[in-house]
Amino acid sequence: MSKLPRITVENLNKEFRIYERPQDRLIELISRKPKHTLFKVLSDISFAVAEGKSFGIIGNNGAGKSTLLKILVGTLQPTSGNMAVQGQVAALLELGAGFHPEFSGRRNIFLNAALLGVSDENIVEMEKEIIEFSGLGNFIDRPVKTYSSGMYVRLAFSIATMVQPDILVIDEALSVGDMAFQKKCVQRMNKFREDEKTMVFCSHSMFHIQELCDTAIWIHEGRIKEIGDSNKVVADYEDFCNSSTTYNNIREDIPDGIENRKQSAQETEVQDCRINTVSVQTPDGEEVTEVVPLSTLVLKMEVEVLIDNMEGHFGFAFMRSSEEPLATFLTQNFEGVNRGPFQKGEILSITLVVESVAMRIGEFYVLGGMADKSGLLWYESKFSKRLTVAANKGVGAIIMKSAWTVEQN
Amino acid sequence: MFFNLIREWLQAPFVNYRLFHNFTRQDFFSQFTASMGGVLWLFLTPIVHLVIYSFVFSYIFRMRAPPEFGEINFVIFLMIGYLPWFAFADAFGRAPNLVIEKAPLITKVVFPVQIIPITGTVIPYLTHIIGFTIFLVYLAFKGYMSVSWILLPFIFGLQFLFTLGLVAVISALCVFLRDLQQMIALMLTVWFFLTPIIYPISLIQNESVQRLFLLNPMHSFVSAYREIILLGTVSPVHLMIIVPVSIISYISGGWLFMRIKHAFGDVL
Repeated sequence: MSKLPRITVENLNKEFRIYERPQDRLIELISRKPKHTLFKVLSDISFAVAEGKSFGIIGNNGAGKSTLLKILVGTLQPTSGNMAVQGQVAALLELGAGFHPEFSGRRNIFLNAALLGVSDENIVEMEKEIIEFSGLGNFIDRPVKTYSSGMYVRLAFSIATMVQPDILVIDEALSVGDMAFQKKCVQRMNKFREDEKTMVFCSHSMFHIQELCDTAIWIHEGRIKEIGDSNKVVADYEDFCNSSTTYNNIREDIPDGIENRKQSAQETEVQDCRINTVSVQTPDGEEVTEVVPLSTLVLKMEVEVLIDNMEGHFGFAFMRSSEEPLATFLTQNFEGVNRGPFQKGEILSITLVVESVAMRIGEFYVLGGMADKSGLLWYESKFSKRLTVAANKGVGAIIMKSAWTVEQN
Repeated sequence: MFFNLIREWLQAPFVNYRLFHNFTRQDFFSQFTASMGGVLWLFLTPIVHLVIYSFVFSYIFRMRAPPEFGEINFVIFLMIGYLPWFAFADAFGRAPNLVIEKAPLITKVVFPVQIIPITGTVIPYLTHIIGFTIFLVYLAFKGYMSVSWILLPFIFGLQFLFTLGLVAVISALCVFLRDLQQMIALMLTVWFFLTPIIYPISLIQNESVQRLFLLNPMHSFVSAYREIILLGTVSPVHLMIIVPVSIISYISGGWLFMRIKHAFGDVL
């Protein structure tokens, strides 16, 4: 069965008119003399999302992601270009937009669902499920204004996904909420994908984009910088960010001195180092994507030093998700590891051999990272490709190296 | 295009009944939930106004209801005009903030925005119809009831449509011109004194000035209520103003709102 595009966008442009004074808007209306300056937010955006696919939008702050979502949802009109959206859309553009603070969560379920176009009868059926999913318990009958921001978004997310729209549009909703709820959200969204629903998803969490989206679009200053497979787009975007970030420059305070100050002023544009690659190999040097339990793995990372006299610690971690470590390996726990200082331009190859991998089931990632001298501040990290544990016999989450003896006396 | 907009406007509360219902219930009850006094405040304002006006005009100025309405207490004469006016004034005064208040919703959620001015007008009318009805029951007991009272809901309905049209225009324009807010408050005061509510129109000696008052539809509404309630008749001239003006206001106000609502997102 061929998949019809649910969302088609062609040569979409969006300009905002900026008026210096509010009355200019009126003067322009009456005199028809242009009084505004144009601010181009989006230019020439084209893409299509097929039914059952999920689509990620990434980009820096102010790149135009939210504007694009608003146009997709229909709260903003494009200046020019064509756009077609087929099916019922549920949008989570803001946490609990449309919640009335004075009313209870339960009352707000009805209110919000009515906004999404669901009848009261259907909502009565879903009510229990929504409350259960949101995990709000007794809070559901308290006014929404007493909720924490996490509770707010939990309720909003529960409602939006429960009404079973054809298309779900989410803007940064997952970043709030505790770990348990984030997990539930991801599960719900995966369920959504299995049900062949369409999803448009904008996030700064690259991990979620990679996990949840088939294709991704990278918007840079209102233009499409890249569109395609989400893994590829995310990788390129991360690369771009790593080469332009300025905030992760960790330097020790050098005693006053004009020379040093000048130097540091120049260097705010430069970071300390860059992790070029993180890979997982067998002892023979073969790259692996499937891990055999109790085998030996070689974790490798290549680090490019970008400043002189860099010192620091290295670390690897096995991660179940972006925030859930399974095991960590840090150089500060080991004596006799070369910690520098390293000089600008040097390429460091860091290798860690891990014997008898204990994971028996599941999927995980390897995270390579660099920390400052104290080992507290991690300022560079990079994920490997996803690794899957090879099927094996047994039960339980881990496996241990073991030896049996049965003696019969 | 034109007819589509009008149709969407006319159908709005019926097609989106659930939303309309929920919105109205939400805003109606939120009038009471946030403050301690709740219902009390809603009725305190008109009551205090009425007491003051009665004191000033009936007691100090010794104003009397015009003789053509028969032997009647001036306070009753005043109230018949004042209660429907208060419904109008309440809706009109809230109009500038209606859309602006809902800005977060409008920019984040897609829904028929035309519901907003409609609920914004329904709520004050629902609220004040309670007071007006109580007052009418009181008058009925005093023996004023007549067959022509059947016309009252009809006139009140027309006044609602008249208000709704104005509310739609003001609420939409205020998105672009925030200064309108101050102007509306001022306009309301002027309009109140130019409508013969606290004085009978017959107090104006000059006939041509009296005729100028026919330009004010609220004057016709107030006069229609008084004639129906107290005399059991209504002068055709008032009906001839009320009916077309209400319909024109309703349709054209709605049309303007529908025309510019798509631009709200950019400004809010």
